[in-house]
Amino acid sequence: MIRENQEHRIGVYVCHCGTNISHTVDIEAVVEYARTLPDVVQVREYKYMCSEPGQDLIKQDVEEQKLTRVVVSSCSPLMHEETFRNACEDAGLNRFLFQMSNIREQCSWVHSDRQKATEKAKRLIAAAVRRVHHHKSMEQREAPVHPDALVVGAGIAGIEAALKIAEAGRKVYLVEKEPSIGGHMAKFDKTFPTLDCAACILTPRMVQVGQHPNIELMTYSEVEDLSGYVGNFKVKVRQHARYVTKDCTGCGECVSVCPCEHPSEFEMGMSTRKAIYRSFPQAVPNWFTIDKRGVPMCEDTCPIHTRTQGYVNLIAQERFEEALKVIRDVNPFPAILGRICHHPCESECQRGEHDEPIAICALKRFVADWEVEHNLHPEPVKAEANGKKVAIIGSGPAGLTAAYDLARKGYALTVFEKYAEPGGLIRWGIPYFRLPREVLDREIDWVLGHGIKLKCNSALGENGLTVDKLLNDGYDSIILALGTTKGLDLGIEGEKLPGVVNCLDYLAHANLQGSVETGKCVAVVGGGNAAVDSARTALRYGAKEVMILYRRTRTEMPAISAEIEAAISEGVQIHFLVNPVEMIADSSGRLTKVKCQKMQLGEPDKSGRRRPVPIEGQFVEFPVDQVILAISQLPDLDFLVKDEDFDLTKWSTLAADPDTCETGKKRVFACGDAVTGPSTVVEAMASGRQAATAVDMYLSGEDLETLRGKPHRPHALPLMDNVRRPELPQQKRVEIPLDPDAGITLKEVEKTLTAEEAIKEAGRCLVCGGCSDCRVCLDACEVGAIDHCMDDTVRELDVGAIIMATGFQLFDSTVVARYGYGKFDNVINSMEFERLSHASGPTGGKILTKDNKPPEAVAILHCVGSRDENYNEYCSRVCCMYSLKFAHLVKEKTNADVYNLYIDMRAFGKGYEEFYKRVLGEGVHFIRGKCAEVTKVAECQEEKDKLIVVVEDTLLGVTRRLPMDMVILSGGLTPGRDTEKLSRIFGLNCAQGGFFLEKHPKLAPVDAISDGIFLAGACQGPKDIPDSVAQGAAAAAGALSLIDKGKVIIEPITAEIDEEQCAGCQLCIANCPYAAIDYDEEKKISVVTEELCKGCGTCVAGCPSGAAGQKNFEDAQILSEIEGILAAN
Amino acid sequence: MANEQFEPRIVGFLCRWCSYTGADLAGTSRMQYPANLAAIRVMCSGRVDPTFVVKALKDGADGVLIAGCHPGDCHYSEGNYKAMRRYPMLLNLLDQFGIECGRVRLEWISASEGERFAEVVTEFTEQLKALGPLNWQESISALCTGT
Repeated sequence: MIRENQEHRIGVYVCHCGTNISHTVDIEAVVEYARTLPDVVQVREYKYMCSEPGQDLIKQDVEEQKLTRVVVSSCSPLMHEETFRNACEDAGLNRFLFQMSNIREQCSWVHSDRQKATEKAKRLIAAAVRRVHHHKSMEQREAPVHPDALVVGAGIAGIEAALKIAEAGRKVYLVEKEPSIGGHMAKFDKTFPTLDCAACILTPRMVQVGQHPNIELMTYSEVEDLSGYVGNFKVKVRQHARYVTKDCTGCGECVSVCPCEHPSEFEMGMSTRKAIYRSFPQAVPNWFTIDKRGVPMCEDTCPIHTRTQGYVNLIAQERFEEALKVIRDVNPFPAILGRICHHPCESECQRGEHDEPIAICALKRFVADWEVEHNLHPEPVKAEANGKKVAIIGSGPAGLTAAYDLARKGYALTVFEKYAEPGGLIRWGIPYFRLPREVLDREIDWVLGHGIKLKCNSALGENGLTVDKLLNDGYDSIILALGTTKGLDLGIEGEKLPGVVNCLDYLAHANLQGSVETGKCVAVVGGGNAAVDSARTALRYGAKEVMILYRRTRTEMPAISAEIEAAISEGVQIHFLVNPVEMIADSSGRLTKVKCQKMQLGEPDKSGRRRPVPIEGQFVEFPVDQVILAISQLPDLDFLVKDEDFDLTKWSTLAADPDTCETGKKRVFACGDAVTGPSTVVEAMASGRQAATAVDMYLSGEDLETLRGKPHRPHALPLMDNVRRPELPQQKRVEIPLDPDAGITLKEVEKTLTAEEAIKEAGRCLVCGGCSDCRVCLDACEVGAIDHCMDDTVRELDVGAIIMATGFQLFDSTVVARYGYGKFDNVINSMEFERLSHASGPTGGKILTKDNKPPEAVAILHCVGSRDENYNEYCSRVCCMYSLKFAHLVKEKTNADVYNLYIDMRAFGKGYEEFYKRVLGEGVHFIRGKCAEVTKVAECQEEKDKLIVVVEDTLLGVTRRLPMDMVILSGGLTPGRDTEKLSRIFGLNCAQGGFFLEKHPKLAPVDAISDGIFLAGACQGPKDIPDSVAQGAAAAAGALSLIDKGKVIIEPITAEIDEEQCAGCQLCIANCPYAAIDYDEEKKISVVTEELCKGCGTCVAGCPSGAAGQKNFEDAQILSEIEGILAAN
Repeated sequence: MANEQFEPRIVGFLCRWCSYTGADLAGTSRMQYPANLAAIRVMCSGRVDPTFVVKALKDGADGVLIAGCHPGDCHYSEGNYKAMRRYPMLLNLLDQFGIECGRVRLEWISASEGERFAEVVTEFTEQLKALGPLNWQESISALCTGT
């Protein structure tokens, strides 16, 4: 029980609020009751307690009656608590010795039973009187106000607010998420009712913003976080990378070379823009922006990160030479990879989600072959020598890629090759019919043409060629790219029989010497590309029957799918789920059979493939006279192991750092299959690139540790979601043409695409990355303002006041399915009409239907998504007026009959009614009635091919069917897309309808619930331009009055901890969301930092010892309030 | 039923930012709901000490409503989550005293949900009417004497 042993003199004041309270609450009874409450010495009632005479009553009684506590029973404390606290203070009573009880919003307005409402009012007053006993005198804290302001959103309201503050001499940060300021107004054609051109009145203001010395414009930026409190906010703003610096002069040269087109957001998807774009010519700032949505999956998946969409889109535009340049930036072997790459890019291609992936690999081959066909051999560009020498051992894909990269940086390169010709595995491992030798020679020669010396027949470990010797000979660094040259055995009986060969030896023989001993009936063991190549090679060298024996199933086969298909079509048989256990010879020692264990699939192994497990006792035998083992390969490192600086891994590969490629020996790096184990050509190239980068950094004295753990940018989104676009038709991908004459010979089997095929195929690319990353704009930009590697920047701003001017979004009319928006071509929304009518819009200001004809009849449907309990109940305020404007514009620009279908006409503003009359006089038809549906189902001849608007004319009382050529949906205004996110960041509340809630609908329409934050424009509720501008100015005044006062008063409702009672359990520290409580190690207690505490009281509720308290929300105060509520009656 | 005339007494703890503002909105929108609940304003639902609830029930309340911002919307980031975690423990405790869990309610009511506030109070009042008076003294003394 709370004891009330203090002597107090309490005054209670009951407000009638006109009749707002008194019509439901029996004031007299309440007053009588209040007189009976303990320590109450004065009770008064008054019509309007908040009025001056009302406040004077309090002041007078405090002075004359020596009141020590005051209770006012009136409206919500959110409304007038400050008013009455000030009155108390004026009378010399501490402002916190006051308590308010809410008998209006939470009593008289919500109850109609007079007796019950009166009883409840008594309980609320009793609670307040009991509570106020425990109130204590407190001092308010003052804090300085930071003089800068932040405006979020740069539509017309935000622009106005920013200019007003800037003009007053204060600094403003204006943050806008779009690349340009201007908001919705920049898209409008004319403004009602004056029919001013929107651009003519807006763009001068935009220019002013751009040039004002007190305004720091942050476009393409979003607020991510807010901390601090009124007067002292800390705001975190993310400036998205626009990939164009402020050196941009806005000349637009980049646009003409950019190959990527996307629907223009500014034109509501009715025309296109390039990936590098400026929303509209008058944009502020006038810089371009590159629309990058992340790294596309094709580029991200490619081991060497080829900028796939870049060259694909250039091919689509017949810009083949430029396409090749994009490829050769990272890949010196387009013709080789265009034939033999396992193209993981195609498996990830987002077009594959829609129909089929782009034939990326075939497109690469096409441009490479096109160049040869047209005798365009680009000269290798030789870099200026940097005086450093690097030796590369091995001329396979890894070694040559490393050489290519380093040579382009000016290093002097020497490549040592064990065999007589360069190329490594691509030369001796890949058969002619997949990769003709002239293609191979041409591309290798081109790489060597970069000033790279090649020494063939130079194997490491032979003729005195050693790592140490090379280092002594003046090479600054060495890259080992040794490859895998040893075939793995199965380790089964009969493996040493004549007729059992390893695929490496077999293929090398065939590919280097043009002949190889081949049996009549050949079994190839394995499922990789080497196995498939061996099988197909065997067919070409005389085998009558070729089979592949694989221990798993087709799904797990690592070989390229198309190659497997080709092998099958050539007659190769594949036996799945069999594992050789014995090679069996006849009496003469000749191989005759291979015995296999039958397998089944078990649990997935580490690689994710299901592990094969033997089926006990089940075997199968295949008659063969030759077996080719194609299981796996290992590097031949015997000669290196003698050098104790080099280590082998447990898989018998060369040990090297996976990030920096460093080996155990200084200055020696390693890459390729010798390190990673058998991989594909493009993976080996990636490894070579990694080593080249490491060597370059090492020799430039950079820290190799920075190579570790580089973060990847996010993947691209598959499809655009922001603009309406026509259904993408399903389109099959191009079929890779085969040479009908090739047969099963050494002649190349696959053919190159024709230019027509290639252009068409490339055109299927969705450019899901936004920008294709071809980077041709780099050359087009004369001032060098483009930076494709730009990153987002995050800035922290200190501001004293914040203005939210984040606007609205148009109601999504697709939701009202019966109006056919998104289904019928000529049903458009109001923003689309604005652009259609705009002189710089997609039709140059001509109002045309989708088939480019002027409409003969146009219907404008009011209240779409507004005043409709199925969507939004509120009135969007602007639609009647802009619908009248549309009617006027259609009348002015066409000969069409115009029908406005309205529920009520709301022409409430200055000059609006006059405008309505004017449009009425222009012969526009007005039908009072809400459209029931828009249909294409014609009931008579004149409705054929028309949009039929069905409506009940409520004035005539008949249902009408109106055949139209165009229907404009006057959609309502809904909260901006990010409203919910912003309300969380800024701690704002949303009102009904979802718009930001103001502090008071009448008296504080631009103050947000949180102090120091102001609201302007349509983010607070639907409004037209004049109202938005007025609110912008009002919010600026609010912000300025806060800033110019220079200090804020902070309510002392913070937590406090009683040192005596605190047990040091630190639960409060875990409870505090603001890190406002610290542990004092010396005293072994928790201590509150008052400046950081925001007064939520969570720590108080969680304190087990009762040591924590909250000022003005003390336990004793709340407990006595409970008692008061329950003790009454 | 005997309880037809029974009017439960309800104490409501409303957070200042969302639910109290929501209750005010119900008022400015003139929505009607039973007069059984009287509200106490706290800064955050996280401030509601379980002893407040016990105190209210002990002092004669038949039900207690705790209302705060929706998860994710708390003005103080996470106070409502604290309330949400304390709530089941509180119910557990009350259950041991034989007090039905239907007598204490935790609700999320935003500043724009005046209608929801009115609905919650109406529904909760009906629910408590069905449960009947709490009779704390009897329950507790029964518990103490073991009958």
